[in-house]
Parts: sequence; structure tokens; C-alpha cells
Amino acid sequence: MLAFLLAHFVAGAAAPLLVRVLGRRAFLALAVVPLVTFAWTVARTREIQEGGVLTQTLDWVPVLGLDVALAMGTLQWVMALVVTGIGGLVLAYCAWYFHEDDAGLGYFAGTFAAFAGAMLGLVLSDDLLLMYVFWELTTIFSYLLIGYDPAKRASRGAATQALIVTTFGGLAMLVGILVLGHEAGTYRLSEIADSPVSGTAATVAVLLLLLGAVSKSALFPFYFWLPAAMAAPTPVSAYLHAAAMVKAGVYLVALLAPTFAGVPGWHGILLSLGVFTMLLGGWRALRQNDIKLLLAYGTVSQLGFLLVMASVGTRSAALAGLAMLIAHALFKAALFLVVGIVDHQTGTRDLRRLSGVGRSMPLVALTALVAGASMAGVAPLAGYVAKESVYAALIDVAQEGDGTGLGPLAGWTVLLGVVAGSALTAAYTLRFLWGAFADKPGVEATPVEPAATGFVAPAVLLAASSLLLGFLGGVETELIAPYAEQFPAGVHDSYLALWHGLGLALGLSVVALAAGIALFLLREAFGRMQKVLSPPLSVERGYERAMRFVDRAAVEVTGMTQRGSVATYLSIMLVTVVLLPGAALLTVDRGGEVALWDRPAQAAVGVVVVIAAFLTTRARRRLKAVLLLGVTGYGTAALFLLHGAPDIALTQILVETVTLVIFVLVLRRLPERFTDRPATRIRHVRTAIGVLAGLAVAGFMIASVTARTETPVSEPFPEAADEIGGGYNVVNVTLVDIRAWDTLGEIAVLVVAATGVASLIFIERRNTSIRRVRDIPYPASVEKLPTGPGRRAWLPASRTLRPERRSLVLEVVTRLIFHTVVVFSVYLLFAGHNNPGGGFAAGLVTGLALVVRYLAGGRYELDEAMPVAAGGLVGGGLAVATGAGLAPLAFGGAVLESAIIDVHVPLLGNIHLVTSLFFDIGVYLVVVGLALDLLRSLGSGIDRQVLHEERRRERARAGAGTGGEGAS
Amino acid sequence: MNLLVPLPVILPLFAAGLNLMLHRRQVAQRVVSTLTLATVVLLAAVLLVLADREGPQVMWIGAWPEPLGISLVADRVSALMLLVSATVTLAVMVFSIGQGMTSEDTGTPMSIYHPTFLVLVAGVANAFLAGDLFNLFVSFEILLFASYVLLTLGGTGPRIRAGTIYVVVNMLSSMLFLASVAAVYAATGSLNLAQLSQRLGDLPEPVALVLQLMLLVTFAIKAAVFPLSFWLPDSYPTAPTPVTAVFAGLLTKVGVYAILRTQSLLFPDSPLQGLLLGAALLTMIVGILGAVAQSDLKRMLSFTLVSHIGYMVFGIGLATVAGFSGAIYYVVHHITIQTSLFLVLGLIERRAGSSSLLRLGGLARLAPLLGVLFFVPAMNLAGIPPMSGFLGKVGLIEAGLEVGTPLAYALVGGGVLTSLLTLYAVAKAWNLAFWRTPEQAHEMVLSLRSARDGGARDLYERLEARDLPTRLPYSMTTSTAALIAVSLGLTLAAGPLYGYTERAAEDLKARVVYVEAVLPGGSR
Amino acid sequence: MTANLTLIIVAATSVGGGVYLMLERSLTRVLIGLVMLSNGVNLMLLVASGPAGRAPLSKLAAPEEMSDPLPQALILTAIVITLGTTAFILAMAHRNWELNGHDDVQDDVEDRTVRRLAAEDVPSDTYDLTQRGEFTADDEQTVSVPPELPDPVGSDRRDEDS
Repeated sequence: MLAFLLAHFVAGAAAPLLVRVLGRRAFLALAVVPLVTFAWTVARTREIQEGGVLTQTLDWVPVLGLDVALAMGTLQWVMALVVTGIGGLVLAYCAWYFHEDDAGLGYFAGTFAAFAGAMLGLVLSDDLLLMYVFWELTTIFSYLLIGYDPAKRASRGAATQALIVTTFGGLAMLVGILVLGHEAGTYRLSEIADSPVSGTAATVAVLLLLLGAVSKSALFPFYFWLPAAMAAPTPVSAYLHAAAMVKAGVYLVALLAPTFAGVPGWHGILLSLGVFTMLLGGWRALRQNDIKLLLAYGTVSQLGFLLVMASVGTRSAALAGLAMLIAHALFKAALFLVVGIVDHQTGTRDLRRLSGVGRSMPLVALTALVAGASMAGVAPLAGYVAKESVYAALIDVAQEGDGTGLGPLAGWTVLLGVVAGSALTAAYTLRFLWGAFADKPGVEATPVEPAATGFVAPAVLLAASSLLLGFLGGVETELIAPYAEQFPAGVHDSYLALWHGLGLALGLSVVALAAGIALFLLREAFGRMQKVLSPPLSVERGYERAMRFVDRAAVEVTGMTQRGSVATYLSIMLVTVVLLPGAALLTVDRGGEVALWDRPAQAAVGVVVVIAAFLTTRARRRLKAVLLLGVTGYGTAALFLLHGAPDIALTQILVETVTLVIFVLVLRRLPERFTDRPATRIRHVRTAIGVLAGLAVAGFMIASVTARTETPVSEPFPEAADEIGGGYNVVNVTLVDIRAWDTLGEIAVLVVAATGVASLIFIERRNTSIRRVRDIPYPASVEKLPTGPGRRAWLPASRTLRPERRSLVLEVVTRLIFHTVVVFSVYLLFAGHNNPGGGFAAGLVTGLALVVRYLAGGRYELDEAMPVAAGGLVGGGLAVATGAGLAPLAFGGAVLESAIIDVHVPLLGNIHLVTSLFFDIGVYLVVVGLALDLLRSLGSGIDRQVLHEERRRERARAGAGTGGEGAS
Repeated sequence: MNLLVPLPVILPLFAAGLNLMLHRRQVAQRVVSTLTLATVVLLAAVLLVLADREGPQVMWIGAWPEPLGISLVADRVSALMLLVSATVTLAVMVFSIGQGMTSEDTGTPMSIYHPTFLVLVAGVANAFLAGDLFNLFVSFEILLFASYVLLTLGGTGPRIRAGTIYVVVNMLSSMLFLASVAAVYAATGSLNLAQLSQRLGDLPEPVALVLQLMLLVTFAIKAAVFPLSFWLPDSYPTAPTPVTAVFAGLLTKVGVYAILRTQSLLFPDSPLQGLLLGAALLTMIVGILGAVAQSDLKRMLSFTLVSHIGYMVFGIGLATVAGFSGAIYYVVHHITIQTSLFLVLGLIERRAGSSSLLRLGGLARLAPLLGVLFFVPAMNLAGIPPMSGFLGKVGLIEAGLEVGTPLAYALVGGGVLTSLLTLYAVAKAWNLAFWRTPEQAHEMVLSLRSARDGGARDLYERLEARDLPTRLPYSMTTSTAALIAVSLGLTLAAGPLYGYTERAAEDLKARVVYVEAVLPGGSR
Repeated sequence: MTANLTLIIVAATSVGGGVYLMLERSLTRVLIGLVMLSNGVNLMLLVASGPAGRAPLSKLAAPEEMSDPLPQALILTAIVITLGTTAFILAMAHRNWELNGHDDVQDDVEDRTVRRLAAEDVPSDTYDLTQRGEFTADDEQTVSVPPELPDPVGSDRRDEDS
């Protein structure tokens, strides 16, 4: 079975190619797949008739209990025949329906074939979850098929509507399946049937499943998607919306009925919905002028009918229902194909325009007549046979309940409803036949192109089988009996036959037909009456209203939540912090020991920091704010020092200084004052948030510090640093060895930061070319001074600065200290392992030296001092550090494992070398590179921009001065 | 002790360094980046196999005796995350090479893109492997800084605006993270996750609760969980498409992973399940409503991204083996599918010059292949069976039913509703961008332009003007297609994969596996 | 372990002040706030390291009288990362100034669109596109019939004409 299933999807995938090669004849090739499957299924007749069940299983997701479990019993066998047989015929029919030049034919063909596969899978799966898989697949494919001509807004809307409505039901069904599976411990229907589950959960599950069925089979209140879906090409309507997909719901009910017909609510819901839908569909069918829509509403009506029969749950009803399902598939598909032919050959489907078509297409008319008769329930056709036993079954229910537990009132209501429905059916059948084929007074005969035989053949075939099946009641009974026998034997054992003898059933058939004919004859009066009684409740409006509601809700909610302002988002986060962990603080029992300070000096510094912090928040001038911030920063450094942490104190001071510098470098471009402050109310809110955040933080720390009982993991660090790390400065060893991995990440951050800054300043190119002084062309205005022994430039590039920007003192100082500072930084780098210092400090010191050079001599001076690309430097640093990390692997060590090497170098004597030094060198390079990059971009880069702007302004002024000539 | 564990992090960093040094050699850069990422994929695969066969792979950096140094751990969860993220990043790298970031509107110097991207990869890998709370913080910083740079590439107005929101928000969350680290160390005197899982248990419950909440909020911001999710749709969509793709695919998932890891390992019997479930529900619903309201594909997808984070939090909140397993599977699915969708979006922008649903139209006829490439992952995102989105959903719903509390049922309902609305949103997008003809789009834009359209030319006009490329670079289409193929593979291989996630989830529940692997000496 | 109140207060103030500044519009202020905030958080780490002690230099102090070195390493890392942050945000502020002539943080544009839709109580733009004037399942929409056609059956249209 699986093979046939897959064959469909393979065909679907191959279709676009086939169409490209064969044109529309590709449909014939595709039709082979379902037809072969049909033949195979027919060949299985014997096993099935003996009540056998073909199964095939394949593990898929055992954890979820989702397996590829296929099973073919009688019901599945019948459905498979319908799906494949009609599927094949319709595909063949497509070869004539479409034109060679229709756009997107390949994808259509593929989707159609794939749909057939999904449908087959749906009816064959034994695992409910698997069935759901195919169930949704049919939905998706039908979405694509309905939207075959997407230029039409109607088809787009119809497709979406069908998609949403059926998926809605489908998802309800999914939950139902999952609940059921959770209750029963399996998704295999066969196993569930053996050990049925009951209880509230099971009931809910079943009802959810029914919701899926009802929406898929277009029952009230979901019926509206089906007529709308008639925007699809007629073959799609014939297959999906008559024979196959819409039957899925009926099939599901028929499948569950043997096990769950007793579930509370089952009969109430299904019977009432079914009967009502049958009447509603018939009623609305009589109002249609588009013969395709007429059939569509007819289908809605019939689906209600079928659902009633499938849900009753007596042996005879089951038999009749299944027979009716077969009959319906045959005649409804045939009729749709006929509509397609008429539409295709005449160019209209409007029964007010069609006239005399019957005479010009006798064969088609005859086909329609036969199929229609079967639909109306006229002997000796399949439809009649089925309907007879339907009446018989319902009479049994009405008279004696027949084990369904239905009272006589319910029973009779259903019976009458069905009879009335049949009357309407007869009426709209006549309206259809008459409307499509009759000669109408005053309407000139519609021009008709002759239809190709192949085009008509499928319809004829289907109609013929309707006729044939009418005489094979006995055989049919035997074939489908195994399904019916799942139900307890009824009061009469029922069978399908043309002649059940004179009885109530026959009487009802006659009544229904007569009433139908009457309705047709009195159509004008009836039409007026309908008009008066209309508007019938229109659920599609409800659907549109619902969708609009969803969209409006979406807009409102989004408008409410997405404020688009950073401050709002930050406030939300901070409030969350205050509300969740902050509130949790209140549950912490206070009583941990708290000391005012370890050293009084801390308090003194603390006061300064607090005041500075407060003033910073009040500052209106950018520079002032930054300087005050600096105060807090240096204060923090002092606190570090007092706490016994010289390394971080040193780093903090250096970082704070660099921060100040780059702040100033950028602030020179920004306006002096901050933009005006916001309204006081907002300021109060912010103050509140700030205060609360502060309190929360204090709370966190007190709570957690006082909760500490364990000794810190860092206790053995000092020895370890000495023995393994080979250094006395525990912090530095921690940085470059114990926790070197953090440091590695940290320099990665620096590298990226440097890159990012550069990318934001030099938008177009990453690396500004480095220009040495000697490359600078002298402007004519500058006259060269001879650099004789008397006068020497302290710095090579300071000449490039405007005199007013130069400061001799600064230049001299720079000249004197620069190299000393650099040497000192190198010392820091090497000494770091044992004394305060290390890569970071060293790098920052070098950076500051560069800052000085830049400030004294301008951007060319910077290039003189460090004629290398910053990007390369940071990259190199990262490479060195990572390389130092990877190197030990070569010696069979672990990443970043350090070794202590003592080498004897002549002159220098013994050198105690720890390999982690190389890592620290990488760090050093990165930090220097960062500093250089910052100076290049925030310093030189912005210098250049300033310069260019000045030049532009001058040029503008010049242009204004010589405006006259400039203009000409 | 497994020497391979640090390589997925340190190799990309090394490559990044090289790339910066060869900033003028584009070809060399491409080779380095691609080779490195490919290597990482292989390494991740090896680690996955080892982790599954022999239990968690641990590495104490620098071979320091436990528990002194920093430990990297590749257990089942980490290894899986690593493999998926590596695969995705490789695909994106190939894609962006094809796109040639220098071309297009991005105005992006490749020489910056390559190293930064590699650092991002390293950060993500480190976050998955980190066995130490502060190192987790550092890895977040790595990937965040890289993302800052990538988000503001080219420094255009919109990107600076979006970048500001993104940077400031994440800076705050980083500070919160650091504060949490401080509190945790203050209370326990340790940072190693394995050690913390023992020490936190001994703390008085209120204190432990405070710490748990601090970490939870921190990661909830990274993972974009309601109400901490609003920043995401404002910041992601403006970046160059490949960047958005990798952000959408990976960054939030790192946050989700952090929640999963810390909640399961550090706070096993958490009192916060109700809170998590509630947040998950709101994340789903509010997020998907946002998607419905959007008129731009990129933004719409960003909102679905937020919404579907809810599914994962749902699984984590259930805190059962089934829940964790479902969440992990869903993360894997979502990483692949979101990334591929954004890559497809890149193709659409390239082909049709816009991602605005108002301006697009007729793509199904214009570029049928593009249609397939969009439709399949879009339906997957909407949870259409049999694709991975459906399987993930089923796993989570089953877990929810198993727990069976009213809140769990509410989440089952919410989850189903969310996937229906997701379907609605993508179907809407499909109708407009692929089915409607460009002319119809044009009329619509004309009626709206005065009101709210930027006035940029729509597809119709550009088609008239013939200023669109008619074919797309192979490396772009193939990398996208490959990623989509992977996502379909998640369906075929669902059996073994779910088996794996189940085992991973069991490890998470039974914390001893992790703890004993990291601290064989049992030091506390 | 004993909590050092002074340090905690200083940390709390820095955090509070930093947060207050971060909620401002000017990116420079936000950045200043951020730096202050990170100073505060670093102090929290210092508090976490327990009581003050002597510098952790093995030559100068015995292990038991040293201050806890681990948090110091963390703080150092944090400080340097903050430097990166400062540089990057400054560059962004500058770029912002280049583009817009100020360094204020701007609100998101698309969000504003949606908020206006919400204010106008209208559905989303794309909703209009898919749903407006959509088909209904009645014949009038799906087949167009010129009115002059004779209408032999009692269907709706003639009733409307009459």
C-alpha cells in the first residue's frame, strides 16, 4: 500500500517536468498512477469481502507514538476505490479541460496528483496521528488547487477561507486525537476499537474530532467555504469538492461510529447538524443560477445526508449510508464533469443563458440525465437503491430505536427531515437538468463547440456505473457487509435491492419524488416565497467578522505593546526586575550580619562617589557630566585599592582616562548642552525606577552575601598560581592562566568593538590609508623653513598643525616622555605575572602614550608614531593569543595549558619564562590596537570630517563671493 | 577530558584574527571563513556522537585541576545545539558570500563582515559549551558585540535607529547578568555550574529564589520572552538579510538554551513553573498577533519568531522529560526554519527589490522556484504536517496533556491557536506576495502611498523599468535550498532525533550525569 | 559572610543613578548612565569578594590575609568590556549626530504606523488587501448577468428588478 501511496507523491514531484515535455497530455500519464492503484485495490476484493484487513506498518517517531500504520478494511477499501478510481478519471479529463498555454499547469498537475496521494493516505491510515497528517495535507493542496487562478481575488479569498476554516477544524481534531491517544495509550484506531476508552476526557476528545469532521465536510455552520471554493477549476470541484476531500469528514464519522456512536452528544450534534445542513443546502441550491454553484449547494445538502446516515450507528443504517456514499461519489462527480464540459464548450454556466444545449450535446445530456436521476433517487439507479434502504433503516430507528437509544420523536424528525431533503434534492436536480440542457423560450440557442470523446468519456463511465450498480444491489451488499457487521444486528437485517416490496420505504421514495417535481413546477411561486423568507442566515458574514476581529485585535495589541521607544522597553525590564526578584527579596529573612565598612577610608571615598554620581544625573552640560562621571570612576578605583585590589584599581584608572579622552574626542562634535529635559512627570517616574533599582541591588547583595556559608572556590588560587601558574600575582595568573578562557573571550570583544567603531566612522572603507609626513604635498602657501642646526622640530608631524593649535611645551614633553612610557608599558607587560600590571595595563599605557602623541602632533603624528593598520594589529593580537592557546595541542597539552620554561641566555642569565606570557602579549597587542583604532577613528577620522566641512564652508563662501561668474 | 571541546570556539576566533590581517584579500577571507565553519560542523558532529555514546564531554581549560579553572561541557543538549548552529552559520556564510555584501543596498565592507561573523559564531558556540556562569556571561558579550557590529553595518539611518534600541537593551541585560553573577558568587563562592547545582541547593530557599529570578529575567530578555520581547521586532528586521537570518535563527535560541540549562541544572524543583507557563502563553499570543498586524515580510517573520519562542518556553515550563525533549526538538526545528525563511526573504528582496507586502506581487508566476522555496518552510513554520514544526508541536502538546494542569491545558489551546494564526499570517503573505498580480499590488500601493507608504517604487514599476536581476546567484539559492532540505530532514530523521532529545532531556532531569562528568572528584 | 554596607550603598547609588540616566533620550546621557551602572555592578562584584584584605601578591601577603582574587579577575574583565561598550556607543552617537544632527534615541517608525492604525480603529494594511470586497458565495458575485436577460425562473434577481 505504501508503495502506491508514495507513487502518487513521486508523480506529483515529476509532474512539472512531464508537463513541460508532454504538454497537457501529461495528465493522462499521471492518471495511470491512481488507476493502477484502483486496479490493485479491485484485485484485493476477495480478502476484503472475507472481512480481512490488509495492514502495513513502519516505525516513524516511536517517542511520539506516531507510526506509518496503514490498514485497509471494508470502509477503507470502498474509499480507496472511490479516491483512486474517480481520481484517475478526473486526471484524464483534465487533459482535455485545460489548454496547452494555461500558465502554471505543471504545478497544478503536480499538486493534483499529490492531493490524490494525500487523500489515499487519509483513508488508509490506521494511526490517527498519521491520518491527521494526510488530513492537513489535503487541506494545503486544496488551498493551492483552489487558488489555481490567483489573479482572481475571488479564488485567493476562497482559497484562504477554505484553508482557515478547515484548518481550524483540523487543529481541534488534532487536540482531540492527542487527548484520545493520551487516554487510550495508543493512536492506532484498531487498538482503540478493541479497548474503547470512556469518561469525560474521551468524550471531549471525540467531540473535538467531530468538529474536525464537520468543518471538513462543510456542514453547517462551516458549509460556506464549499460554494466559495467553486472558484476552483471544475476538475478540482469534481474531485475534491464532490467525490473525495469533503467525504473525509463523513469517512471519519463512519470510522468512529462503531466505537463511539454511544458517546454523549454524538447523535444530538451529528443528526441535527446533518438534517439541518441537508435542508439548508437543498434550499439554497434552488436559488442558484450558476449550475456549478447549484451543484455545490447540492453537495452541501448531500453531505449532511451522508453524515446523518454515517452517524446513526445501526447495522442497516451503516449499510445504507455506505451505499449512499458510493452512489453519491459516482453521480456527483459525473455531474460536475458535465458542468465542466458545458462550461468549456459554451463559455457560460449561467442557466439563464444556456438553451438548447441538450440537442447539441445529446450524449452529455443523457449522461447528466442518468446521473441526475440517481441523485434524485429514481429507480433503477444506484441512488434509488441506496435511498430505499436508507428509508428502511430510518424507519426502523423511528419505530423501535433499533439500539440507538433515540426516542421516537427524534427518530421521526430525522426521517421526515431526510424525506424533505430528498424532495428538495429532486427539485434542484430537475432545475439543474432543465437549466443546463432544456430549450428555453425566448433564449436563443447557445452556440456549442463539439466536445472531444475523451473529454466526455469519464462522465459517461461514471454515469454508466451508477446505472450498473443499481442492478448489483446483492453483490454490493455482500461486498460492504463486513463494515455494517461491526454494528449490532438490527430489528431487520437489511440488504440493497431494487425491490423491497411495497412498503413505507417505497412510499416515501414516491412522496419525495412527487414533492420534488411539484416544487420544480411551482418554481416561480416557490422562488418568491424563498425571497420573502430570505435572507437565510449567512455564516460567511460571521467568518468575515471574525477575521476582521482578529485583525483589529492584532492591531490594538501590537499598538499597545510595541511602543518603539527604548526608554519604555528599558523601564519594562527594570520594573520586571524590581517586581520579580525584587519582590522575592521580601521573603528573605533579615538577620545576616552587616558591617558599616572594613576600612573607614572606604566611607570617605564612598561619600565622594555618591555625591559625584548624584551631580552627574543633574548635569546639563555634556562635558560637565563626563567629568563628574570620571570622578565616580576614579573614586571606584580608590575603593578597589582600599579593598586590596591594586590590579583592578590600576586598570580602572587607565580605562577611566582613556574613556575621558574618547568622550572628549567625540563630544567636541556634539552640541554643548543636552537637548531639553523631559516633562517633570516622566522625570519622576524615572527617578522612582532609579531608586527602586538601587534598593533592589542593595537588597540582592545583602541577601546573597549574608547567605554565604561555603568557602570560595578561589581559596587555593594563591598556591596554585605559584606552583602551576608560575606567578606571584594571583589576579594576573587568574587572568592569563586559570581563567584565561574568559580573557580570550574578552579580547575577542575588544577586537569586535574596535572593528565596529571603525566601521561606523569610516562608513565606506575599513582602513584609512596611513600617511607619513614625507608623503604630504606642501601647499604653495607654506614656505619651507630650512631645518638647520639652530632649529629642530620636536615632533615630525607637528608642522602639519595650524600654529594656533600647536603647543611647544606639549611637544617637548611628549618628545621626552613618549619612549619612556612605552618602555614602562613593556615592563608592565613582562612584570605583570608577578607584580601589578599585565597585558591590559601595559596595552592601555601604550595607548595613552599614543594619545599624547596625537594630542601634541595631530593625526599625522599618530601615523608617524604607529605606521601600521589598527585592524591588522588587533587581528594579529587575536591571532597571537589564540595561537598561544592552540600551541599546547601540538605538544600533547590542552588548549591554553601553560608551561614553565627556564632558559639560559648569555648576558641575561637565567630567564624564568611562563608560556602564558605569549597569551598576555596577544592581549597587549589587542589593547594597543584598540587604542590606535579609537584614535584613528574618533580622533583622526573626525578631524578629517571637520576639515572637509570647513573646506566646504570656505568653498561655499568663495562661491557666494564670486556668485556672478559662478552662476554663468 | 576531551581536547576537542574548546576547538569550536577557538578556531573561529583564530580565523577571525587571520581575516582581520588579510582584510584586503577577499578571496582568502572567504576561503578561511568557509573552511573554518565547515571544520566546526565536523567537530560538532564528532562531539555529538561522543556525547551520545560516552556521556558529557568535559574539558577544563588549561588542564587546571577541577574546580579551579573554567570547564567547557558538551553534553547531549549542548552538542546538538552546537551542531545545528554550526550548520546554519555555514549555510548563511555561503549565502552571504554569494550575495556579496558589498553589492546591494547594504553598502557593507566584507572585510568587516567576515571576522565579525566568525566571532559571532565563536560566541554562540561558547555559550552552548560554557560550564561556568561568568564564562557564559563572557560568551554572551562576545556574540552580542559581534551582533552590534553586524546590525549597524553600513551605518544607515534605520540601522542606527534599530541598532540603538538593540544595543542599549542588551547592554542593560548584560549588566543585569553581571549583577546576577555577583549575587550568585556572593552567596555560593563559586561560578562553576556543576558546583553551583550542589551549592545553590544548600542556600535558604528565599535567597535561591531571588537568584533564580535574576537569572531568569536576564535570559528572558535575551530569549525575547513576554513582556521582555518588544525590543526584538524593532531591531532585527533592518539588518542585512543574512545577518537577520542568523540572528533570528540563533541569538534568541541561545537565551532559550540558557534558560533551559540554568533552570534544569541549578534550580531543579523550581516553584516558577506557573510563571514560565504564563509567560509562554502570552509570548505566543501577543507575538503572533503582532505578526498578523505587520505589512512587511521581515517584520512579520520577526514577530512569528517571538511568538514561537513561546513554544520552547512552554516545554521548559512543564519541566518534565517530555517537555524538555519537545522544547529541544522545537529549538532545533526553529533554528533551521527561521534562518531558511529569512534567507528566502533575502532571495525575494534580491529578485523583487522589496520585502514589503504592500509592494510585492505575482512572484509565484515570476519565479516559481522562489515560490517553492518560500512555501515549504512557511508551511513548516505554520506547523503543517508532516513537517518538523508539526512534530515539535505534537511533542509539546503531548507533554502538556501529560502534565494535565489547567494552565497546561490553556497552553495546549494557546499553542494550537498560535499555529492557526501563524498559518493565517503566512497564507496572507503568500496571497499578497506570490498570488496577487503586480498590477493589483500597484493599484493598492497607489491608494496607500499618500497615507503610509515610503513612496519607494513597487515591484510593478520596477518590472516596467526592468531594473531587477532575472536570475539569482547559485550559491544563494543552493545554500537556502540546502538549509530547507535539512529542515525536511528533521522530519525524516524525526524518529532517531526525538530519541536523542528524549535522552538529552533525561540527562537534564537527572542532573548527576552532568555533575559527575564535570566533577568526578565530587568536590563541592 | 559579612556585608560591607558602605560598598553596597555606593554600588546601589551608582546603579540607581545609572539607571536614571539610561532612561533619558540623549544617547550620550544613556552612555554615561551605562558607564556609571557598570561601575556600580563592578562594586557589587567587589562586595561579592567578601571582606577587604591585602593585595593578592604571593610575595607580599599570606593566602589567608589576601582579598579574594577571583572576583577581581572578573571585575577586570568587566571593566575592559565596558571600555569597548563606551567606544562603540560613542561611535554610534557620533553617527547618529552625523545623520540627524542630534544624538537622541529615535522611536521605531513601523511601530508608529501600527499605533496610528490602532488609534484610527482600522485593521492592518494587509488585512484590507486580502479581505476587502471579497467574494461571497451568492450567485450575483460569481456569475455576472446583464440585466436585460430574460429570467425564466423565480430567482432573486428579477425580484430585485421588480
